[in-house]
Amino acid sequence: MDRILIIEDDPVTAEAVAECVRGLGLEPVTQITLEAGVSAAIQMDFKVIVLDRMLPGGDGVDAMARMRAGGSRAMILVLSALGRAANRVEGLEKGADDYLPKPFEPDELRARLRALLRRASIEVLDNDLLAFGDLEIRMKARTVYVKRAHVPVSPKEFELITFFARNAGQIVTRMQLLEQVWKLHFDPGTNVVDVHVGRLRRKLEGAGCAAIQTARGEGYVFDPLGAEVSG
Amino acid sequence: MRVVPAATLRLAAVVAVAVTLLSLAGMALQYRLVEARLMDEAGRLLAADLDGFATLYEQRRIIALRQAIEFRAASGASGEMLMLMNRDGTVLAGTHADWPVAVVPEGAGFGPDGAVRFAAGGQDWLGVGRVLPGGFPLLVARDLGPVLDTLSALRRGIVALGFAMLAAGALVGWVMAGRVMARIGRVNVLADRVAAGDLSARLPGLRSADEFGQLEAHVHEMLDKIEALNRETHRLSDTIAHELRTPLNRMLQKLGRIEGQDAVTDDLRAEMRQTVRVFDALLDISRAEADAVVAGGPGGGLRPVDLSALLVELWELYEPLAEDKGLVTQIAVPDGLRVLGDRTLISQMVANLLDNAVKYCRAGDSLTLTLAEVGDRQVMTLADTGPGLPADLRETVFDRFARGERDRALPGHGLGLALVRAIATRHGAKLTLPQREKGFAIEVGWPKVAATL
Repeated sequence: MDRILIIEDDPVTAEAVAECVRGLGLEPVTQITLEAGVSAAIQMDFKVIVLDRMLPGGDGVDAMARMRAGGSRAMILVLSALGRAANRVEGLEKGADDYLPKPFEPDELRARLRALLRRASIEVLDNDLLAFGDLEIRMKARTVYVKRAHVPVSPKEFELITFFARNAGQIVTRMQLLEQVWKLHFDPGTNVVDVHVGRLRRKLEGAGCAAIQTARGEGYVFDPLGAEVSG
Repeated sequence: MRVVPAATLRLAAVVAVAVTLLSLAGMALQYRLVEARLMDEAGRLLAADLDGFATLYEQRRIIALRQAIEFRAASGASGEMLMLMNRDGTVLAGTHADWPVAVVPEGAGFGPDGAVRFAAGGQDWLGVGRVLPGGFPLLVARDLGPVLDTLSALRRGIVALGFAMLAAGALVGWVMAGRVMARIGRVNVLADRVAAGDLSARLPGLRSADEFGQLEAHVHEMLDKIEALNRETHRLSDTIAHELRTPLNRMLQKLGRIEGQDAVTDDLRAEMRQTVRVFDALLDISRAEADAVVAGGPGGGLRPVDLSALLVELWELYEPLAEDKGLVTQIAVPDGLRVLGDRTLISQMVANLLDNAVKYCRAGDSLTLTLAEVGDRQVMTLADTGPGLPADLRETVFDRFARGERDRALPGHGLGLALVRAIATRHGAKLTLPQREKGFAIEVGWPKVAATL
């Protein structure tokens, strides 16, 4: 069974994360100090490391380089109370693959973990054509077709649908969209993302493809084939 | 930054001029003394001549004088002028042809009193004119040429020495000023490094026991304090975040276990999210304000940001929201205007302003975003025709938790514009609220970036 390393000193949080991990069908391994966490990251093989920052022994973000140098190839998700935009940007710039501030919704964490697991398994996605039944996305031409008819989308909408396509069948949260598509690492308060997703959704539906659905809670699911939603 | 060493030059010039003036004053005094001595000497020689003629006059009156003068004239001595005139103005005897016009004969004795200096035949003379009993004018004068030659040689020497002193003074001054300024320069270089964001920069080596060492020690002490304060600010904001978010996180995890009361739990989630936003905004504000001071002021620790592209991106994020609300939107942002900044902070600032505009405006209102170079600033203007600022807010709109009575019903925490101001301060940007006939307008003037960045 694939493992996920949780380096977290708060037992309630650690257990909440472990529960999410088990829910994804993976095995959680918890360490409560930075040193123990770094050793574990180097000695064992993990898919993802969920890393806290203000740990006994130091800041997790500063230890990422040591884990990488020690040979760990795991994706790193920083899960921290240092959740201001500046903290998040700092963590990502220092090499984290994702950064989720506390307090976090279990749904949000699950979505992030799934996206990371997916990235870990499909490293390169260089197909020019992404096809989901009637829906076709042509990467190089940056165009979208439904039932062979061209659906005009703005550059941002194209990035949006590409991100959805890469995470097809899974819940994608608003926060993820803001971070990944708009590169914004703060909570703008208003759900600006909804308007954009709504527009894209109406364009696709107008062409006869109900690809985007609202998921309960914080996000959306891109599911052009109408497969069972795994949430 | 290339600095003209104006202070070094000034100090060197002051030293050079002071040294030169002092030595010139000394030499001028000496010149006066020498001149007085030489003139005294000339006067004594004249008196001796007069004594000689007095003795001759005692013996055989005018005849003796006439013979003596004729003898002197014949011997061709050029260093003296002797004239003896007849009652009718004709020359009885003389070394020269005419009585010099500048000398008026007066008195009858052979004393040296009333000696006058005069010019005749291209030479300078010191002499006395007398009228001897019976009406015979007598002139006895000595050539001042040798004296004047000596004095002019002395003057030339003084001038040459003056220039030499000036050059030497300038050299010594330059070397000394250079050494003084080099010590000050070290402190300046340190200040520049700190301004560029390196708060831990210090001068290497030991402090010397002089005033400069003291200056360096004081600067170091100040930097230590600022650094400690800065570290403390960072640590405190991290601690606040940790101590607040960890329990909130536990609550949120426990909320997830409550079933069947979705409306209540969703409310609680929204409240918690709002709490986190308020604390983040407060921490962002104090952090931006602290960095504006400790990162060496605006510019320190910032990177070049393509403001045009960033504004267009944020505009595109909010525009659909505005359109859906029925606003008439317009953007005029030329390509490629850059500022020194923090991308995330600028995004937060602009997002806050756009969010406010969309929140307060109603269908039919217009919303305009422009960016333009005005003087030495890149000025971003966001203007709407919405309800504008409530009168009770005009003074305090940028304060923390400032909210108009009118807007109590709208969601918000009154920190948006306080954060906008803190971020503007962090960037050294000028924030103004231009008066408009209708609606709200805000101008942010970023300092321009040097073309090389």
